[in-house]
Amino acid sequence: MTELNDDKLAAAARRLPTEISPERDLWPGIAEAVHAPRRALWTPMFAQAAAIVLLIGASSAVTYVAVSGQQGPVTQVAPELVFEQTAFGSRYNVGPGFQNARDELVAQLDLELARLSPQTRAEIAANLEVLHEAILDIDEALVRDPDNLMLQAKLVKAYREELSVLRRVGGLTRNVMMRNDI
Amino acid sequence: MSALLTENSSDYSRTMVTATSHGAADEAAWIRRAKRSDARAFESLYRLHVDKVYGLCLRMTGNVSEAEDCTQDAFIQAWNKLQKFRGDSAFATWLHRIAVNTVLGRIRSSQRERDRIQAVADTSSTPLALGDVGELRDLSEAIDRLPAGARHVFVLHAVYGYSHKEAGSMLGIATGTSKAQLHRARRLLAQQLKQQGFEA
Repeated sequence: MTELNDDKLAAAARRLPTEISPERDLWPGIAEAVHAPRRALWTPMFAQAAAIVLLIGASSAVTYVAVSGQQGPVTQVAPELVFEQTAFGSRYNVGPGFQNARDELVAQLDLELARLSPQTRAEIAANLEVLHEAILDIDEALVRDPDNLMLQAKLVKAYREELSVLRRVGGLTRNVMMRNDI
Repeated sequence: MSALLTENSSDYSRTMVTATSHGAADEAAWIRRAKRSDARAFESLYRLHVDKVYGLCLRMTGNVSEAEDCTQDAFIQAWNKLQKFRGDSAFATWLHRIAVNTVLGRIRSSQRERDRIQAVADTSSTPLALGDVGELRDLSEAIDRLPAGARHVFVLHAVYGYSHKEAGSMLGIATGTSKAQLHRARRLLAQQLKQQGFEA
């Protein structure tokens, strides 16, 4: 018995049928999905990508404000910036410590923003709102896919980033106040 | 080995639907309509390509049930991703890529494949039963017994004719790795088939 020749093996492989009929009709299982409403474009991947973009945007805005050092007259803060508790899907809740810290920062936010120029304030408010929408979107995606660990991590990260932005706004206004004092 | 080259009756050869009665124009029209959510057009695409996709899934998984699931998943994914099909490659090639990704995804998330590979390793010294229905079937069974990596490369390269570069791209491995896996597959197949008495 000799070695099996590679060429003959290759020739035999090429003669194997490449088209094989399944033993049963697979279409009914496919048809169920096809006739269902088209899957929403908002997939976990989109949610993650959007969250990253929005977090970068929010961070950039705060950084811009920090380096520009703009300040203006104190005015009433736009009331449309509303923060809501998200559900973390149907199975998740933020911890009490996390929520307390967030609530405190949100409560101070109006006072902090009042120290900034209207333009700066509007930019921060807009970015925080967009960031908040991203959180809601991730949360919504979690409702549909509650076991998605990446989504869970992204949501926690987004919340942390929101806290970070809120804290940086606080730090920024303290700097403004110090400059005013000087 | 000469017997190996004699095409004989095979489980795989029972119904070879090539769907050559439909031209490229039909396919292009079905694709356009399916992109507009025409389920009947997509069913036509399914009928045209199901044997190609199922054949690939069956050869890659070596398991009828897995192949059926992979085929269904692949077509469902194709339906969901149809808007992204730009016609840069043939629709069949695009479907093949989706099918390969589906198979790989299922394997990664399935303990069954690991169990199956272990079972192959445990029985690798056992000669294949000499086939009484044809040596091509024996070759198919020998391919089924290959470890996943070697099997996937052998199927895509040796059976379906994809280049190492194409196979590597579809499997997410380097071209050199594809060549190495093919070499491994040939060696393992030769060992198995020698035990059956095939000669060069």
